[in-house]
Amino acid sequence: MQEATFLILTALAGGSQHGYGIITDVEQISEQRVRLRAGTLYTALERLRADGLVEVDREEIVDSRLRRYYRLTATGAERLASEAARLRANALVAMSRLDPVGAR
Amino acid sequence: MSDDPRLERRYRRLLRCYPAAFRREHEQEMLAVLMAGTTQGQRWPRAAEVVDLLASATSTRLRNRWRMSWAWEYKHWRVTVPVRVLSGIWLVALTAILYGYGIGGWWGVLLIPAALAHFYVVYRTMRHRRV
Repeated sequence: MQEATFLILTALAGGSQHGYGIITDVEQISEQRVRLRAGTLYTALERLRADGLVEVDREEIVDSRLRRYYRLTATGAERLASEAARLRANALVAMSRLDPVGAR
Repeated sequence: MSDDPRLERRYRRLLRCYPAAFRREHEQEMLAVLMAGTTQGQRWPRAAEVVDLLASATSTRLRNRWRMSWAWEYKHWRVTVPVRVLSGIWLVALTAILYGYGIGGWWGVLLIPAALAHFYVVYRTMRHRRV
């Protein structure tokens, strides 16, 4: 799973969000390291929707502009959980080898 | 956030690079996201944004093309499967004949992958029909 995809799913794991909300949330989660651009975001969302990992939650019009909210599906939550577990396992091994005493 | 109508028009023009179906679905919300990311007084899309939009539009088009060609294979499987199986066997036989006579040379590099490609499409089509 690409990092951008992982971060988008993580952003949606906290509840449904619209496009710009996802961008600012991803920026925060990644500590300003990843700033998604509109094109990348929407091709990713389109692919995730086709794969059944996210779905449209609701639509709103704010200042005469369309806001479409996306949410994680059950399959999406499952995939994110297994990916997060995999990353954590890898990270634990890396940290324990780098610093055998400090890591738990 | 900028509210310059010229900037919005420029974004709209860029979004025209996407396939029509994608635009119908996402143009309005993408425009909202793009405008939300602008700064006061900005009149032109940022270069990195333009590159990102063009790249994403291209990959969307390529993926559509790819999916469409598979849909066509699946739909006409009664014709494509036998034709591909026969073509694959013929290519393998041709390779064997050429090398049998010692005139294969570099043709195997072309013929064997082509035969494998035919068999792979057949395999995917049959798998698609089972599920």
